[in-house]
Amino acid sequence: MSKQTPLYDLHLSLKAQIAEFGGYEMPLWYPSGARREHLAVLTGAGLFDTSHMAVIHVSGPRVFDLLQHCLTKDLDRCIGKSRLPLSPGRAAYGAFLTPEGHTIDDTVISMLDEENFMLVVNAGMGATITNHLSSETEGLSPAPAIENLSDRMGKLDLQGPKSAIILASTLEKPEILCEPFPFFSFKGHFDESSPLYGDVRLSDGSHILLSRTGYTGEFGFELYMKPVRLESVWRLLMKEGERHGCIPCGLAARDSLRTGAVLPLSHQDIGDWPFINHPWEQALPFAGDEGGFTKTFIGDEALLRNRGKGFFTYPFAGFDLRKVQVGPDTAAVNSGGRRIGTVLTCVTDVAIDREGTRIISINSPDRPEGFRPKGLCCGFVRLTEPAKRGAIIEIKDGRRSLPVMIMDDLRPDRTARRPISSMLPADLRRSADPNK
Amino acid sequence: MKEISELLFPDDVFYAEDHEWARLDGGVITVGINDYAQDQLGDIVYVELPRVGDTFEKGEEFGTVESVKAVSELYMPVGGEIVAVNTDLEDSPELINQSPYGDGWLIKVKPDDETEIEELMDKETYLAMLKEED
Repeated sequence: MSKQTPLYDLHLSLKAQIAEFGGYEMPLWYPSGARREHLAVLTGAGLFDTSHMAVIHVSGPRVFDLLQHCLTKDLDRCIGKSRLPLSPGRAAYGAFLTPEGHTIDDTVISMLDEENFMLVVNAGMGATITNHLSSETEGLSPAPAIENLSDRMGKLDLQGPKSAIILASTLEKPEILCEPFPFFSFKGHFDESSPLYGDVRLSDGSHILLSRTGYTGEFGFELYMKPVRLESVWRLLMKEGERHGCIPCGLAARDSLRTGAVLPLSHQDIGDWPFINHPWEQALPFAGDEGGFTKTFIGDEALLRNRGKGFFTYPFAGFDLRKVQVGPDTAAVNSGGRRIGTVLTCVTDVAIDREGTRIISINSPDRPEGFRPKGLCCGFVRLTEPAKRGAIIEIKDGRRSLPVMIMDDLRPDRTARRPISSMLPADLRRSADPNK
Repeated sequence: MKEISELLFPDDVFYAEDHEWARLDGGVITVGINDYAQDQLGDIVYVELPRVGDTFEKGEEFGTVESVKAVSELYMPVGGEIVAVNTDLEDSPELINQSPYGDGWLIKVKPDDETEIEELMDKETYLAMLKEED
């Protein structure tokens, strides 16, 4: 029996197409359609119900040691180019591995304070990761407290370049957007017991944890709140958002947006094989050219043994919008017709197209006048041999065979990392620090 | 998702199990996909159609429609020769979503046997089948 988020009836009233995902009945798209939803997140904003995601709260004086042992990311060296330690108010991306280096799940970890962290993991993974962390607390005294908050947390993602403008008109104190608010940082909390509670409140009275993160590659926020607040916050954001081109968005647009942004889907693009030789190695604590890691963690030795061996995962882009159906028999084939791997994800990013040898997006500053992309097939292949950027391979399902190019990036000119000061409404922009 | 009662099922076409529709007019059968199929598929982004002059048996695959969600095969509701394909769909595949029984038609077929169309379902039978699947 699939679960539903508290907004299920609202999605039905909005005539969403519903599909099962991660054990939840979720909106796949709304009547505007996945294509328009995808484009809205590049040009205006999109609002996603992401309450299917699971949240775990970990706390205690030894919690940092537990996380360093279980996570691939080195939390002592992870912020910015100078690799500063994770600090309160900042977030990081990492993965939990088995001793064999296989992925159990990936996570965004938010540091509330020295002894309190919030972990967001994938739908249905709350219990698995809670148990995994609990089983690794041996020898830590006092043992960290690990609490699966999944059913006590609601989450909405407001994504797109107009997100800050929409938020500004719904925040009690919009000036919090003018203070430093870099990508992968957050403010506020939804739980009364948190010292951050009260820092971010919306005009409907909802207390939220507001995080400058997302799963689209575009500028935006994730809003965490109590489930009881979801409907009120959804209606508030839609009411203010409508005139800025904000529309409800479903999982189909979420999938095509994240693929174009080269973000992995856990249990599809990363999974039961070593978490290495892929586009997400920034989640690994490489020490430098010598090949070791800056810390020890579960799975580290297996990863180093598999570096440059086994499976190699690459982004690819096709030459038109046609895709293949991903299934067990979907293959990646080299120019000689030999099977060299599998297709993990294959979608159409409708905001991009080829212009000569380049890929450009509707947000590319140098796009030709009247640029109207048809979309490009893109995704990830997992090969049994390394491939060079620019190499052409074929992907095939039972029906068609399509040439695709191995890439190191997909949708260009994404907005996720733009300085928040450039995304604010004019009245707030004047008081914002242009460097943050 | 629309309720079945909100979808359009005209009385003047026949319906196939795989959600194509067929309309006989002056010895030529026009074929498309119905409102239920386009609603389920979502935004249609690409259509592969046969060439004029190709011939197919009833039930044979004649092309595909590709939506944001999936690539779906199209099956001949009747056997015959393709006498026209909707070339407007090359640039505007969304016509299938907007007007599945009108501008979003797929092919015109000169049937081997005109009466084969009567083996398809009428609106009531098709709706009963949909409700059973539901």
